[in-house]
Parts: sequence; C-alpha cells; structure tokens
Amino acid sequence: MTSAVPASPGRTAGVAGDHVHDKHISALEELFGDAGDPVNPVGRAETVAADERGEMLAAGEDLLTGFGLNAHFVPEALGGRLTGLEQLIGVMRAVYRRDPCLGLGYGAGSFMAGVNVWTAGTAAQQLRLADRLLAGDRAACAYHELAHGNDFSRTGLTALPGPDGRRRLNGRKEIVANLRRAGSMVLFARTNPAPGSRSHSQLLLDTDDLDPGSIQHLERFGTVGMRGVQLGGIEFTDCAVPPGSVLGGTAGLGVETALRSFQLTRIALPGMTVGLLDTALRTTLRGARSRPLYGGTVTDLPLSRSILAEAFADLLLADTFTTVAARSVHTAPAQAGVYASAVKSFVPPVLMRAVYRLSELLGSQFYLRGAEQPLFQKLLRDVQPSAFGHASRVSCQSALLPQLPLTARRGWLGAEGAVLPAETFRPGQPLPGMRFEDLALTGGGRDPLSRSLVAGAADARDDGGIAAQARFWCAELDALAAAASGLGPGSAGPAASPYAFGLTTRWAGVLAASACLNTWWHRPAGADAFAARPTGVLAALHRLGTHLDHHRDPLPGALAEPLYTELVRRFDAGLTFDLDCRPTGA
Amino acid sequence: MSELTARPVPVSVSVSADEVREWLRDRVAAHTGRPVEEIRPDLPLTEYGLDSVYVLGLCAEIEDHYGIEVEPTVMWDNPALDPLAEALVPLITAH
Repeated sequence: MTSAVPASPGRTAGVAGDHVHDKHISALEELFGDAGDPVNPVGRAETVAADERGEMLAAGEDLLTGFGLNAHFVPEALGGRLTGLEQLIGVMRAVYRRDPCLGLGYGAGSFMAGVNVWTAGTAAQQLRLADRLLAGDRAACAYHELAHGNDFSRTGLTALPGPDGRRRLNGRKEIVANLRRAGSMVLFARTNPAPGSRSHSQLLLDTDDLDPGSIQHLERFGTVGMRGVQLGGIEFTDCAVPPGSVLGGTAGLGVETALRSFQLTRIALPGMTVGLLDTALRTTLRGARSRPLYGGTVTDLPLSRSILAEAFADLLLADTFTTVAARSVHTAPAQAGVYASAVKSFVPPVLMRAVYRLSELLGSQFYLRGAEQPLFQKLLRDVQPSAFGHASRVSCQSALLPQLPLTARRGWLGAEGAVLPAETFRPGQPLPGMRFEDLALTGGGRDPLSRSLVAGAADARDDGGIAAQARFWCAELDALAAAASGLGPGSAGPAASPYAFGLTTRWAGVLAASACLNTWWHRPAGADAFAARPTGVLAALHRLGTHLDHHRDPLPGALAEPLYTELVRRFDAGLTFDLDCRPTGA
Repeated sequence: MSELTARPVPVSVSVSADEVREWLRDRVAAHTGRPVEEIRPDLPLTEYGLDSVYVLGLCAEIEDHYGIEVEPTVMWDNPALDPLAEALVPLITAH
C-alpha cells in the first residue's frame, strides 16, 4: 500500500522544536482562561452545568475548533501539527484539565480513527481524512459492538460482496463516540466470512456517501461518567459501500492494522487522562485548604498531607511511564506495542485509585453538592471509563502474555540486547521522527526499556537510595524472568490463569520502574530545585510498590512532606503537577 | 542477570514439511491441552481457540525452536498447520 506520510528524514532533523509545542499549549491555556472565573463561558461552573445536562460544553467545542485542535491529530506531512505522541498528549492534557468530556468527546475519538488511516491508508485516503479533520469535521472510530466488547476479532458487522460484486454493510456498531455527528468514520467490519485474523478490514467512509435509507441511528447511550460524550450506535441494512473505502485498498488487513495503530492510542489516552488527575488534585487541595477541622484546616493533618502527596506521586509515576512510552515510539517503534499495552493496563487503575482516594480525603464534604464538590464528583465519574474504554486492562494483558516467555528467554536472560537511546528519557528534547510503518505486531522478544534498567543500575552511584531501588527492580526483573520462562504452553490464551496474568502486571511494574529511574538518571543539568532532588522519583517508586502489592506502607514523611510542600508551591503559583510543571488556569 | 538459558538443539537444516507439521501439531496440542491425535493439520487453528494475538505465543516457540525470525502474520496468512509447515520450511532451510 502507498503511504502519504513520507519516511522521516532521520535523527538529525528531529521533530518540530519544543518551543512550537510549548506555544500551542500556552495558546490553548490562554483561550481557556481562568477556570475559576464565574463568568468564563468555559470555566468550572459552565463545565459542570453542561455535564449535569448531559451535553458537551458548546463554548468549549467552539474554542477548540477556533484553536484548531483537530490539526494535532493530523501528521505534519499531511498539513497537520502531529509530530509525536508527547506533543499530542501535552495539548490534550490541557483539554482534560478543563473537561475530560471535551478531551474524549471532541478530540480523542477523531484521533483513534485517524491512527488507523495514518498507519494503513492509501495516500488518497490519508489526504481525504486529513482534509476533513483540518476543516474541523469529526471522525468516529466505529469498532465496538456490545456483543463482543474489546474482542474485535469476533466482529459481527459484515461488509461482504453482494450479487453485483459490490460490498454491502449489514449489522450494527454500538457505543461509538460522535457516530451521529461525525462526517467520517472508520468502520471495522468482517470482509470475509472465514474465521481467522485475515477476515476483517477498516472502511473509511464519508457519511454523506451512504444511502440514508439503509442506515438507522440507534438511541444515544447514557453513561455514568463522561456524560457529555455522545455515544451512538448505528445499524446498517444492505448499505452499499462506496468504491475505494477499504483501508489500504486490500481487504483482510484489519486486525493487523488495529493492533499496530492502536499502540499509539493505548499510550496517548492514559497520558491525556493525567490531566484529569491534575485537576482532581487541584480541586481537592482547594477544598481541603479552606475546610476548617479540629481547630485548623484539613491540610494541617499529617494524614491529609500524606494522601495528597501520594496522589501527587501517583501522577508523577503515571506521567513518567506514559512519557517514556510515548517517546519510545520514536526510538524503539518495534517495541511500542509492548509498552503501549503495559501503559494501558497499568496507568488507568493508578489514576482511578488516586482520584478515589482524594474523594475520601474530602470526607463528608464530598457527599454534598456545594462548593468544589460537583466538579470533583464529575471527575470521579469521568475517570471510570479510562480503565475499560478503548482497550480493557485484560485485553492489554492478553496482548502481553503471548510475548512474555520469549521476552524472558531472549530479552531478559539473553546475553545481549540494546538499551533505549538516552533521549528517550529526556522529556521535551528532540527525537527522530515518528514512523507509522515501523509499528510492529510483536516486540520480537526484545525489551530495551528493561535493558536500560539493568544497564543504568550497573552504573548507578549510591545517591540517596536510588541505587538501592535500582538493585531492587533488577532483582524483580530476574525473578520475573525465572517465573516467565517457566510458563507452560497454554498459559497465553484467554483462559490463562490469574497467575499468568499477574506476571504481565509485574512486567508493567518493571517497565514503569525503569522509566522512573532512567528519567532520573538522564535528568537535565539545569533542573529546578524539585527536579534536582530524588524526592519525586523515590516517591513514585514507593507508590509503584504499593500498586503492585509489594507493601502497604504510607509514603514516609521524609518524602511526603517535601512533596506536599512542592504541591502547594505549584498550586499557589498556578502550575501543573506533571513533569511539564507549566502555568495553567485550570 | 542470570545465565543464558539452554536453547533447544538446532534441528537439521534439511527439514521436511512433514517434520515441521508434526512438531507443530505437538505444540498446538500442548498449547490447547488436547491429545495430539485431535489436532488436524487441515483445519484452521481458530478451531482450537488459537487465533488473533493468542497464536503469537506459538510463533515465539517456532522462532526459538528453529532459531529463525518469523513475521507473526505468517500465522494468520497460513491459518492451518499444513500450509503453515509449507511456509516455514523455506525459512528454516534458508537459515
């Protein structure tokens, strides 16, 4: 198939300068203004009000159209601003800080559809979708059928040739964002009745080209969270498929294209959702500092400060892991599938638990409907679909499991293996271009992120507990390698044992630890006072141990107190809590 | 890290499709927990629950056993053991 996205000119050119990326996020923050301003049409009050009505925030959608958000989903070579996942995550995180519904309901759905086309579309198809998105139109990513969940290989919707040789659509899709109002859709359909993984295709369709008489839109699906997002359904009855719709021009590549292209969204979505926790943390802190209790405020209590510090550490952990995974798409694209499944299975539960714990901190106040609470309650609802939406935890673990024994034998126990280039661990620094064509179905048993842990540990100086952590996680990798290489055949299918699934969680844990440690080891010389101290990385690793059930200890005071101090400093200065630490009006 | 684990002894490079197919049948039986006699080489592996990403574990075993690198899609393009064995022979021989 032809590709309109030209091969990257290579390492020397790198992606667009970081200042361009910074400029976009700053411009977006400026457009959103001060969320606390009661007359701001995209402020907190209006955001909550729209959510209560189950509507998208119209002023927010207009704002994003004016900003040109869609351009961030379109590769630069096709006229857009997409140069890498880290940049996209940065922009989308700014949206998620204001309203996760806007993030998912305005934007992420179009990006999910887009990656299919950028990965496997013909040049003409890529240009077609790029033009539609750049004109401000939406694209729906129509994979989901209620009967099959995330198991899209059992898709029931068919696009089989009719008596005249022309393909016809029969069947339905359900719970797809923006299905009714999107001008384009990427539709996942069975194009061959035979079983197997060569029987499906994506179809790129313009809704205007379909016969309205053969389409029936289903009623919108109501949801607990992300209430504004318009989840629709569609039923096709003998709907003729326009010629040239099969993505890539060849039928049968659907499963392969999905597994390759969704690596990008499996990393990007959790990365965006970090913005939700950012605002949950800010909202909690605002409420807790103004809440008188026991002769002081909630934040005077060490337990409260510890919970806030732990949520902050969870945020840093989630951000560091997704950032390294996002950057590894540029430096180790063949392994991106492994890191994407690890991120998508591990990070959303971390974010969800953090938001939930913050709700406990708010105590009885959380039960009321006044002050900060309605926004916080919305965030607690909105974070729920991050775990199962797009790719569930178990489907990501199922993608890791068949690769585990080979990775143990070849990648971990093998004598040789490349590490990730150092720039992978330097957020914001230039990278080689992102090449969709290099995304692979499996990592081939290679795991350069784990190799970077082992290599870094060998060189680590004993600086304030970091070397001890490095040794601990290397020992965990050794133990995991021994356990994984002993996995018998038959432990990789959907009926795999809980023990086998647990090994994939341990793998994700080692990868997250490597991301944290290597980001510390490769930190820039001119880091600010907080980034120059190991408090953040040690706290993130402590929390990682909690999430993996290594221990149940609260964050030690020596970490919690400086972390809380930094949290309050950023709160007072109007800075985000992620690695970016940038001004925000959220 | 620990020592390199023992690799299977490389098989003869002049392997036949029959040998490869029999080895594959044995592995599919092990993966699916069925007696080897039940694994028919002319039926798609999906019949035994081995499809999509789950068949990739078998692909990894092929790589390790024969010391070759296999594009995972070969498993999808050759959904039954007969054509799969035929497709693998030239790769093994070339190695």
